[in-house]
Amino acid sequence: MKRVLITCQETHRLLSEHMDRPLPLGMRLRLKLHLSLCHVCSRVERQFNGLRSAIRRLGP
Amino acid sequence: MVAIDTLSHALDRMRPRLLGIARLQLRNDTWAEDVVSETIVAALEGAARFEGNSQLKTWVVGILKHKIIDQFRKNARELSIEAHTEAAQAESFDELFAASGHRARPTADWGDPEAAATRNQFLEILQLCVDQLPANLGRIFMMREWLELETDQICKELAITQTNCFVMLYRARMRLRECLEHRWIQTQATSA
Repeated sequence: MKRVLITCQETHRLLSEHMDRPLPLGMRLRLKLHLSLCHVCSRVERQFNGLRSAIRRLGP
Repeated sequence: MVAIDTLSHALDRMRPRLLGIARLQLRNDTWAEDVVSETIVAALEGAARFEGNSQLKTWVVGILKHKIIDQFRKNARELSIEAHTEAAQAESFDELFAASGHRARPTADWGDPEAAATRNQFLEILQLCVDQLPANLGRIFMMREWLELETDQICKELAITQTNCFVMLYRARMRLRECLEHRWIQTQATSA
């Protein structure tokens, strides 16, 4: 992933991976740039975060 | 401290739900029965340390989580074989993207997830969606998000690579998004 502009698909993968490990700086910057330009992926970011907080509320 | 009778009764009522969680995690009825029984015994034994009814769920679920993690350790080999099978499977939701990797269609929103997450109805739908995940995706996702294990722990328990782990978590999140999107919006449409 050498390009500055990454695709939505790559962005979703990175968003998910970022929830599981800290990403290297270069990847974080590409991610940030894409998110600042793309409202669809920004929404996905909110949904992933919402998913996490909701799961922690699941219980019997 | 609560009366043993009261606690025992409350635990009985919780049992089906505890079993559901354990089954989802372990995908094995015998193991699930075992961890739930162990959890209930541990809860009754620890009754002296438990105060009041308000945090009973949290407390019992905390015990259950530990028992499930123990069970993972005991059965690590069998679990890892299944995990490999899932990781090797082709994915269908990549079809959502055009060949270029750009989004083929914009997704519908399920509203503000933070606000939505506080609603019981949303949590019920989420539970339904989690239950519908393919077995191994559901397990790894719940290990990460519900048991709150770090990915290196999960990789170790399931004997899979970090990369596999990230890919499976990604697939699980994408599937859950799709499922929530469809079901939540359906619900909103019918209640509106």
